[in-house]
Amino acid sequence: MNVDRVLKFELSRLNVHLPERRISLKEALESAKPQVAARDGSIHTFKQEELDLLAKIVPEVDWGRLQLPILIALDPKLGRGAARITGETEVRAIGQILGKKGKGEELLIYRPEVAIVRGKLPTTTQYFFVPG
Amino acid sequence: MAAVAAAVAPTRMELLRLKQRVSLAQRGHDLLREKMDALVIEFFEVLRSIGKARAGALKQLSLAHQAMSVCSAVMGTIETRQASREAKRELEVEISTRHVMGIVVPTLEVERVERDALARGYSLHTTSSTLDEASKEFEKALGLLVKLAELEESARAIARELERTKRRVNALEYILIPRLKAALKFIEMRLDEMERENFSRLKRIKAMLEAGA
Repeated sequence: MNVDRVLKFELSRLNVHLPERRISLKEALESAKPQVAARDGSIHTFKQEELDLLAKIVPEVDWGRLQLPILIALDPKLGRGAARITGETEVRAIGQILGKKGKGEELLIYRPEVAIVRGKLPTTTQYFFVPG
Repeated sequence: MAAVAAAVAPTRMELLRLKQRVSLAQRGHDLLREKMDALVIEFFEVLRSIGKARAGALKQLSLAHQAMSVCSAVMGTIETRQASREAKRELEVEISTRHVMGIVVPTLEVERVERDALARGYSLHTTSSTLDEASKEFEKALGLLVKLAELEESARAIARELERTKRRVNALEYILIPRLKAALKFIEMRLDEMERENFSRLKRIKAMLEAGA
């Protein structure tokens, strides 16, 4: 039974790095210290160079709609290595980064693409583990 | 199977409880494996960046040492040392954190490493321009070393978490889940056996009753 408790604790800890509240790209660009508070109380800071890159690829009218950090959802139901991006503006931004057509509310990406996205946007994207 | 038989009671209640445990363990295993895969991606990404950053920093340090040799040759070793003692340096490094799946990774940001010759603090009257050149090269190298330190610490933190997660995934995959499944199979077999025993017992009683009537 002890093992179950450890396992439940591990599962409850999987998403503690996610922010309490996401901020828009516009808010982040206007802030002197662009950062969000995570669920465990720690602070996650966005790098200015990444914000500048996003500002370049996202049209200015969408700055208020792009929520940061962009969540890369890892769902075991999608299969190993597949991830999902949700949100219209987020999908378009990630599509631009990967050089593929990002349309609609949802975009499925695979492990090599996840690596590219994380390589280019290490602080403005975060993993989100979808519990089954 | 004998060890399993000794550990579990073959009841329907236990069967339900075990099914729940297998489902939890399987879900945990799937999620932790996703986490492990993501950590591997992060780790290799950081390693690649470290490779590039280290090569850049070493090249820059080599340039800086060359410039320093030229400076020592032109100004003389004692004068160069004297100028270095006069130089002042206060570097402000802002240390913040970023999260990689719950791992706190440091982020170092340096305001401005490179300065103009006047801000360095040594006398421009008594020194040669080669000293300015050498200082500039070392300042560039310092910026690259700060970046390298950030990456190396990130790699260390990710590697620690990767090792921990891998251990958990392996424990689930090779120990806990197979044990639970074996116990589940044992209970199912035992319950089936009990049902068969019951069935034949009832058949026997029915036959006896019919024979008596």
